Amino acid sequence: MQVTPGEKVVLDGRSGIGKSTILRCLMGFVAPESGSIRINGQTLTPHSIWTLRTLMAYVPQEVDLGSGPLRQWIKAPFAFKINSNNRKNLNRLPELFDRFLLSTTLLDSDVNKLSGGEKQRVAIISAILLNRKIFLLDEPTSAMDRFAAKAVLGFLRSLPDSTILAISHDRAVLDIADRIVNL
Amino acid sequence: MGIVDIGIKTLAAYYLLLIFPLAIMLWFKVPIIGRTLIAVVRMTLQLLFVGFYLQVVFQLNNPWLNILWLVVMVTVADFSIARGCDLKPGKFVFPLFAALAAGTAIPLLAFMGPLLHRPNLMDAQYVIPIGGMILGNCLRADIIGIKNFYDAIEKNEKVFLHTLSQGARLHEAIRPYLRDAYHSALLPTVATMGTIGLVALPGMMTGVILGGAEPMTAIKYQIAIMIAIFSGTAITVMLAVLMTIKSSFTPFGTLNPHAFRGHS
Repeated sequence: MQVTPGEKVVLDGRSGIGKSTILRCLMGFVAPESGSIRINGQTLTPHSIWTLRTLMAYVPQEVDLGSGPLRQWIKAPFAFKINSNNRKNLNRLPELFDRFLLSTTLLDSDVNKLSGGEKQRVAIISAILLNRKIFLLDEPTSAMDRFAAKAVLGFLRSLPDSTILAISHDRAVLDIADRIVNL
Repeated sequence: MGIVDIGIKTLAAYYLLLIFPLAIMLWFKVPIIGRTLIAVVRMTLQLLFVGFYLQVVFQLNNPWLNILWLVVMVTVADFSIARGCDLKPGKFVFPLFAALAAGTAIPLLAFMGPLLHRPNLMDAQYVIPIGGMILGNCLRADIIGIKNFYDAIEKNEKVFLHTLSQGARLHEAIRPYLRDAYHSALLPTVATMGTIGLVALPGMMTGVILGGAEPMTAIKYQIAIMIAIFSGTAITVMLAVLMTIKSSFTPFGTLNPHAFRGHS
């Protein structure tokens, strides 16, 4: 299976066939039993995974952001050495919150208190701020209402150089796909 | 002024005091009577064995024999930590041994050398009881620190993986868990230091007073031993967690289930 840069691909198939496992393999969270993974021309290895992860954003079906104020959660990854150059992107936070139909008053809330849909949107916003180009989305709109889903998907679709590999049965997600892969 | 010895017969008669807890357990059907009796027998046999052994060790006062005894104590503590933290001993015996040895040896040598100015750094009368006290506390702190560290990462696996996915290197991703585990491991010693003397007279001080020393001498020993215990636990916990990381995480930064007991 190959996905070209900028392509929006949706994985389809019956439950339990391993769609989520594919995304987890790409992030290096699960080791594939056979075969190999190449991202951006680089084979995924214990050595390369640390830089390859900085190309990708992974949003699982049930997002767990931990606890603490949202503002602090959003800033936390910029303390990692590899993300320090992207710190200026934090200026885009109000704009992105607005585009994703989130109120900036949420920034002072505890991430524990956010709804499932809010957590999914916050995780995607964090990935955009971190300048990720490959979005691995596992049922990304499962907890969102249709307005929020439309706003998020419209935004992701408008990013010309972003590659999306999503798992979803949602019509709205399938509609933005360039290709649907049946497993 | 020396300590009054206890006769074997009177010590045997003292066991009768156990009738009270056993009777209460029997009356209320507290289901630990069997375990209590086994524990009492084990305590007696283990202490008698150690007593005979230490008598020989003290008489010979051979530095190498004393070092060997300390190594045996560290090894027993080593396996005890691996068991207490559900770590597979094969992968962790050496890192845990090194962490325990460092946490015990550094404050112990500072105690024997610069503090007591003992010409023989391995003088059995000092090195074995003081080493034992430091090691015992290192053991307890290591179990708390290591267990809290891995339990927290396992419990918050989704958050941990999300941190990795955000570009964190392993040392950056584990930092909050390490900080919390370190906090939990050191907290009991900090709390003890904060209340010592007010809540109870510590064992070391009691022993020194019973041995016939002046209370002020006992106090000075107690202050030194508290500093030794705190320094030792602070060193060993950080080393123990950091030195187990290589075997307990995969090269991709996720927890390695094969490092823990109960996982295939």
